[in-house]
Order: sequence, then structure tokens, then C-alpha cells
Amino acid sequence: MKSITTFLKRCISTGFRRWHSTGKLTSTSPEELAHFNALASSWWDVNGPQRILHKMNLLRMDFIYSTIREHLKLNPPDCPEEDKVYIPPYSVDLLPEPIKRQIVWEQDMRRDEILSQKKLKVLDVGCGGGILSESMARSSFVDDVMGIDLSSEVLQAAKIHQQKDPMLSENNGKLDYQLTAIEDLPKSETYDIITMFEMLEHVDYPSKVLTEGLQRLNVGGWLFLSTINRDFVSWFTTIFMGEHVLRIVPVGTHTLEKYINQQEIRDWISEDPQRLRSYEVVDTKGTVYLPAYGWKFTSNPNVGNYFMALRRVK
Amino acid sequence: MSHRDILVPDCNNCLKLTLHTHVGGKRKNRIHLQDRKITTVRKIIAVRIIWCQLIPSMIPSPILNTLKRDVVIIGGGPAGLLLLAALKTSPYLRHLLCTLIEGGSLALAKQFGVDPPKEYTNRIISLTPATASYMDLGMGCWNHLHHDRLKRYNHIIAYDDDGKIGFDMDAYMVEVINVQLALLKRLAELENGFENVWDQCKVTEIEKNGGSGSDWPIVKLSNGKSVEARLLVGCDGFNSPVRHFARIQSRGWPYDRFGVVATIKVSKPTQVAYQKFLPTGPLAILPLEGDDATIVWSLTPELSETLCAAPSEVFPHLVNAAMKLDSHELPYIYEMVKNNDNVDNVIDEIQWRLNKASVFDKYYDNTVTKVFDKSRARFPLKMSHADTYVAPRIALVGDAAHTIHPLAGQGLNLGQADVQLLVGALEKASTRGLDIGSTLALEPYVSERWPANHVMLGVCDKFHKVFGVNWGPFNAMRGFGMNTLDSLGLAKNLIVNQV
Repeated sequence: MKSITTFLKRCISTGFRRWHSTGKLTSTSPEELAHFNALASSWWDVNGPQRILHKMNLLRMDFIYSTIREHLKLNPPDCPEEDKVYIPPYSVDLLPEPIKRQIVWEQDMRRDEILSQKKLKVLDVGCGGGILSESMARSSFVDDVMGIDLSSEVLQAAKIHQQKDPMLSENNGKLDYQLTAIEDLPKSETYDIITMFEMLEHVDYPSKVLTEGLQRLNVGGWLFLSTINRDFVSWFTTIFMGEHVLRIVPVGTHTLEKYINQQEIRDWISEDPQRLRSYEVVDTKGTVYLPAYGWKFTSNPNVGNYFMALRRVK
Repeated sequence: MSHRDILVPDCNNCLKLTLHTHVGGKRKNRIHLQDRKITTVRKIIAVRIIWCQLIPSMIPSPILNTLKRDVVIIGGGPAGLLLLAALKTSPYLRHLLCTLIEGGSLALAKQFGVDPPKEYTNRIISLTPATASYMDLGMGCWNHLHHDRLKRYNHIIAYDDDGKIGFDMDAYMVEVINVQLALLKRLAELENGFENVWDQCKVTEIEKNGGSGSDWPIVKLSNGKSVEARLLVGCDGFNSPVRHFARIQSRGWPYDRFGVVATIKVSKPTQVAYQKFLPTGPLAILPLEGDDATIVWSLTPELSETLCAAPSEVFPHLVNAAMKLDSHELPYIYEMVKNNDNVDNVIDEIQWRLNKASVFDKYYDNTVTKVFDKSRARFPLKMSHADTYVAPRIALVGDAAHTIHPLAGQGLNLGQADVQLLVGALEKASTRGLDIGSTLALEPYVSERWPANHVMLGVCDKFHKVFGVNWGPFNAMRGFGMNTLDSLGLAKNLIVNQV
């Protein structure tokens, strides 16, 4: 009972204020840092304490890959008429099965073709041990990945692990790590993909971090983030069950008042006309962890964990 | 020309030196000192430091002889070649560096393409429509098969002394070597497909990687080379060295039976496969092109030896006897063969019995006329299933993961399904940017394939056991069961569709 009261108090009192607070730039508290430093050694043990994160990475990559793939421009403006892929102005599901299959197949071929020519530049903010950074660096459409974090120990773990794969260690320069906060990166450096997975709930001023990220996007670039809605379900699954009962993640990994509702991010984008013109929330998907299965998308992004894709349109 | 930068710690600052190495021709190291103001003493120190760094790299180390590969496939049987062709065909995986290692020679398979022997080779397998469609649409190697040596049959009749069941099922009979040839031809079409098949190259040892924190297993080969594998796939059969290396347990039991195979001639061509369940195990006659056919006969070890050694004039009669006579008449005939009775005596005895009892002719209405002498061979039958098919940087496919009783002709088809699912898992892993050797990439393969294989292994095992019972009342019940099921079209189709 006591914990539920605490939960309610935390939910109401701190969340919103923190979200809007201004002051010192993005950073994480010393306690958070110490916590992640301690995790460094077991970071890459896929059957160890970070297994749930490794499993989540599968869904992250699915989300990034499918979002980028779906939003490719199949017929560029200068494309000659005969090379154009047919895109019906209505749902393909209305067409007879063989025709639908042919259209979808042609579109898929075009998507593969366009994607294979892409050479995207990626910034992984809060890369930790490099689980996502490595996956991005191995992707065929990515040319360059920079992973940044504030914990030197986890970065050390990331660098050591990078050396184990010749694909990452020998292709000089494709994957780099740097001990820095996002605001200390030069503003002139811009990226096609910026990722902030499982990271906003660990920083003190998430809106600042988000602003810093959005400012560094190329036009057409993507910002992918994931965090946790501040609600009872999240507290119950991520803190109560995850940390205290099932001990899937170490106690102290999460702090409820740092969670952010997905609607708060949407509101934050639309409250500033400048932001609203430049950025668009393209997709939000709820996610849930099912023990013995792994992570799964849900139909409701307002409960529990969620992924979000933002795009710079202008 | 390559160059690398070496930082030389100096008294107060670091000198950046660029080292140029000329590759080819005379080896020559030239040192550029970028800081022009350095003194001669510092120069000497710097040069000495550089030489210290160079010397180790000039000593030939075993590492230099080690190649790195994304996928190393051990075994050039149908499963291994199928996997390599599938990897090289997949748009998501064709960029991977793959090597297939086969201890034997694939020259016979290549020879088969140019000048196939007139007689069938004795390793003949059955392909289900699912496998055929994967080889056709999924892989594009179906057209490379010798189609005049590919037999399609569409009906199966299974029976024993007391009952009979017949069902429509499409399947193909094809020689293993024919499949290998088709896959080799397909690989020759694919970029980087064929060069990386190394035959007549044995695996001498597989060892863990000790150096530089890498966990890639090292495969040492009889040609002196070593290959480090991101993913090592064992398609190396029942006694899989890869499985032993990964310390994956395989559980199961021997059936105390041997499978005898032979290529035969029958009196009239047919599209029907026959299988008779005898107390020793099933005897199947599977049609080939024209009046050729192949048999698989499961027998006790002792009997299998006797029948393999039986004179070739007698053997066709023995098959006829087993197919057509009541099973309790057979031990007497076996005994005659074992005692090396006169050939004519044995044939007369069988003929007399066949003339007397024509009751089973309604099931098997054909006659075996000839056996190709060198085609007889025997192999032990067993059921085994590995606890898992994957470990870090290891995957098992086909017989390395499971061996099955041949009564349903599922061996290669299970291997094909393994390949399909493994390639699917690797494709998914590649779009997720995973290391394809990590268990995260491989887990979906085992979680989908293991239960399906387990069911099939279990069903075939139960078939063997149910038909292995020889006790009057049970036989009658089994016969009644078969006849009942035979008359229930719907239930029968339901079962057939599972295969």
C-alpha cells in the first residue's frame, strides 16, 4: 500500500515539472553513472543481467528498419516515367491477390534497391555497451556510427567488444565511441539517424537532450527514441516486477519520476510553432516484455514502454 | 602501398611518424618524421622504437595462415550444399564470406553431370513437394537436376498381414548425387558460390580461439589452412564433430536394425510406392523411372548381413516373398538362405509358396525381377535428437541435429526445412544488424525447428514400434485400425497433409 501511495505521489508531483524545468544542461546524476559503471562487465553477456536489453534491441532494430523502409520515397522527382513503381492511390488490400502480390513485390524490390544505396550517418546517444551501435554499424544502409555515453566504464566495455568482430574493428571508422554529452558535440555535425533508446528516463533534463538531438538532424533525418510512460502499469512492470520481484534488471535501474508519457513528447513538439513546422512524430508503438518470449509491440502506445519515431521534415 | 601512424612517446611530446610499407617487390620501410625540428638523438630513439614495433609483425605467425569467414559449413552432403546455395541466393546474405568443407571428393557429382552412369546409384532419397518447391522457387536449382532420373510418384500403399491403407501423396525419388550435382551447378551460377567449396579437405581439429579476445572457433584443415568462423555450421552427419565440439548432447536409441538398400527392376512400371510392415521392420519399394525401383528394408543386424550376402539370383525372390507372403512364412526362408541352401531350392520354395498363397497380390501386384548387384548396402538405423541446434557461433543442420527412421522417407526433407528456417533466421538477424554467430540470431531457428522435428521423429518412432509388435490380438486390432482409417477419406487426408 505504501508503495502505491509513493507511486501516486511521484506520478503527480515531479514528472511534469521536471519535464519543463530549465537550468543546467543535460547530464545524468552521479548515482545513475555509478549504477551503469557497475553494469559494464556483464553488458555483453546475452544470457546475463542485460539479456532483456539484448532482446529489446531486436525490436528496436525492427522498428528502425521498418520505419525507414516504409517511408522511402519510391519514385524520386527526377525518375523517368517508365522506371516508376506503381503506387495505387488506395489500399493494395482492395486488389485481387495476384495483382496485390505483384505490386507489393515490385515495391519491395525498389525499397531494397534504394536502401542498399543509402549511406546514413548515425548518432547513438546513451549507447551504453554498444548493443544498438554495433547493430546499426552492421546494417547495410549505414555508413558511419558514433556512439556517445557519459560512463567511461561502459564505453570501455563497448570498445573491447567492438574489437571482437573484425567487421567492426577492421572497417576503420565505421563505428566510433566517444565519452561526451550530446550538447558538447559540435552543432555543425549533423546526422541522418539519432537514437535515444532507453535513455531519456535516465537523464535529468530530457527536453534539453531532445532539443539537442533534433537540432542535429539532417532534413529527412530520423530521431528514434524509447522510454516509458509514467503510469501504474510501467511502475508495476518495470520497477515492482522487473526489479524487485523477478529481478530481471538490477534494483535501481529505473526511477519512476523520470518516466515520460508519450503524449507529453507530442505536446512538447506542438507547443512551439517552430518545432511543429520542422518536426513530425511519425509513429509511436507500445512495447511489452513477455517473459520467456521477449519483447512485442502492443496496440496501445500510452501504456508502459514505447518506441517513437520523429522526423525532421523541414 | 600501405601506411600506418605510430605514436612515439618522446620526452615532452609525441612525435607522429608515418610508416610506409611497400607491398610486393622488395620490402622497404621508409620512415617519415613529420616534425622537422627534432634532433638526431630523438630521431635515433624514434627509429629504434619503430623497429621494435615492426619486428614482431615480420615474424611469420600462425595467425597469418588463418582465414576469417562469416560462415563455415562442414559437410558437402545435400544439406550443406543446400545451405550454401541458399545463403548465396539470399539478397540479404549473399555478401557473406562462406566456405564449405567436404572431406570426400565432389568429383563424382561433377562427373555425374557430364556422364551419368547407366545404373542408379544406391543412395536414393525422397523429396516432398515442399522440399521440391523450395529447391525450385526458393533456390532455383530444380532445373539443374537430371530430370530423366527424377521420379514422381503420387500414391502410397502401406500394408501388413492384417490391414492396408492407401493414400495420395506427391513425392519425388531422386539420387543424392543428382541433388548434389544440381546444387553444385547452381553454386557455379552464383557469385562467389563455387570457389568456396573445398572438397577433399578434412577437418583435423576444431578448437576454441585463445587469442585476442575473439570467440570465433578455429577449424584446422588437412591442407594446412585454418579457418576462423563467425558461424560454424555442422552439416556433418550423425557423428558430427561440430556437435561434439559444441558439447551438445544428442539423445536417442539404436533400433537394433539395419536398413538394406538396393536398386532393382520390377516387371511393370508404376507410379505407386509400396511399404509392407514386417515384424522386423518395414520394407518399401519405391518407383524410379521406367521399370527401375529402389528398396529400403529394415532388418535385424544378422538378417541384414545374410540378405546382403545372398546370391543375386535369390535376392529378388526374397523381396517378392517378403512383399507377398504372410510374415510368419519368412523365417523359414531366411533360414534356408542363411544355411547357404542351393539357389534353385530356395527359389523353388519361394515360388511354391507364392503360387499357393496369392492373397496378398491384391496389395503388391508387381514382381521384382532383378537386383543390381553392386547396389546392395546396409546401414544402422537409429533415432537421435540433439538437445539444441545452436550454441554461440555454432548451428547444427540435418543429420548432425537429428537422425530419423527411414520409414517415412523424411531424412532430407527435415534437413531442407532446417536450412530454410536457419536461412530465415539469419536473414532476419542481418536486417537487425546482429552478429549472425550470436545466439540471439540463432535462437529463432532452434525454437521453431526443434519442436517440429521432435514431433516427426516421435511419429516415425511410434510407427516403428507399433508395427514391430507381433502378437495375434494386437495385429488384428492394428489391421482393423488401418482398414478403418483407409475408408475415412477425411481423416486420412488430415494426416497426409501434416507431412
